[in-house]
Amino acid sequence: MLSEERIKLMTKMAAYEENEGKRYMAIGSYFRSDYMGKQIIHSVISATVAFLLVFGLWLFYHMDTLMQDIYRVDLLGIGRKVLEYYVIFVGSYALITYIIYSFRYSRARKSLRKYYNHLKQLLALYDIESGSR
Amino acid sequence: MSSLLEIRDALRDFYSRHEIYLLPFLKFCLAFLTLFVINMNLGMASRVGNMVLVLLVSLMCACLPVNLLVVIAMIFTIIHFYEISLECAIAGGAVFLLMFLLYYRFSPKDALVVLLMPLFFGIKIPYVVPIVVGLLCPVTGAVSVACGVISYYVIIYMRDNRAIIGSVEADNIVARFRYIIDGLMGNKGVLVVLVAFCAATLMVWVLRRLSINYAWTIAIFAGGVLMVAILMMGGLSYDTGLSMTAIIVGSLISLLLAKVVQFFAFNVDYSRTEQVQFEDDEYYYYVKAIPKNTVSKSKRAVKKITSVI
Repeated sequence: MLSEERIKLMTKMAAYEENEGKRYMAIGSYFRSDYMGKQIIHSVISATVAFLLVFGLWLFYHMDTLMQDIYRVDLLGIGRKVLEYYVIFVGSYALITYIIYSFRYSRARKSLRKYYNHLKQLLALYDIESGSR
Repeated sequence: MSSLLEIRDALRDFYSRHEIYLLPFLKFCLAFLTLFVINMNLGMASRVGNMVLVLLVSLMCACLPVNLLVVIAMIFTIIHFYEISLECAIAGGAVFLLMFLLYYRFSPKDALVVLLMPLFFGIKIPYVVPIVVGLLCPVTGAVSVACGVISYYVIIYMRDNRAIIGSVEADNIVARFRYIIDGLMGNKGVLVVLVAFCAATLMVWVLRRLSINYAWTIAIFAGGVLMVAILMMGGLSYDTGLSMTAIIVGSLISLLLAKVVQFFAFNVDYSRTEQVQFEDDEYYYYVKAIPKNTVSKSKRAVKKITSVI
């Protein structure tokens, strides 16, 4: 027999699965450490490419002076300075990633908990119905 | 008011019934407008200035996600830059790539703002974008607004300086590149616009979340006033490319448009606000409930008249 309460619950759950649930379920399928690790690796790659891009532009911009003074400049010192900037840049980007994605992970878990509660309710409704038959 | 609400409900109804056709149509319009504005600013005579190509790409965009439209628009822009000079393409491409690498990884949904910002600059009411983003988007929307402003000023810089860039000795690539980078980095007017727009977005976002009556209206006006004040004060010292009259008139129109957005997105009746308190095992709850403005649909009664002849 059709149960209005069950249909309402199922509709709500179907809408959730279609919209934000899809995203949250993908996040929820990971352990927290795996998810954060994956995002941080992505961020480190993005930040490295971005840093290389900026460094390339900087080299291109100063090409004239660098070519002229190539034997006079302290290449090791410049290299060390660039490495320092790289570590600071990638480190801060990874930190921002950690903060944003840990917030997203906990939001997804909270939302999925609500969804699982709905599932339990649905199961209970089925049990009640089958018991009354 | 009730007739306005009826119109709003009718529009919502119409959209939900015809969403399957309307969404691709709107995407097509957005894509066509974006590519047309890019071509208009950077030259219709270029390789990608062909109207048939624009139409074909726009049709293609109608079935693609909006984020891909952003990528296509950027490719179009870089091709235009390349026609000015290779160095323009490198500098412009690097700016766009940096934006994608560093920001859009976090918030790909906001990519649309980057498209809308230059379009609204084109019709002289860019001030509406930070206000609406502050109303409808999360706080990270401020970064999207900043990316949109940077994209617009990069395009404008290349357009305005194409003759000078072309006249710098063609064999000296580094000199040309340096000229472009100096021009892009040295424009303090862009900084003023960036600060004004980001501050307005944040101000609107903070105020509209407050639990006070008329929070959205207060947020719209406070954000608008802050933006105008920063633009005017900054405009005294640096060239923002925006005249005082344009700022005032544009802001007034933007405030009106923001009110229209508010009408559709957040329409509540503060006179019927209810404050309730209750408790459960774990918490005390202090709840403020504000009813939405709605209009009940008039039911059509169908009378059956049967007559016997």
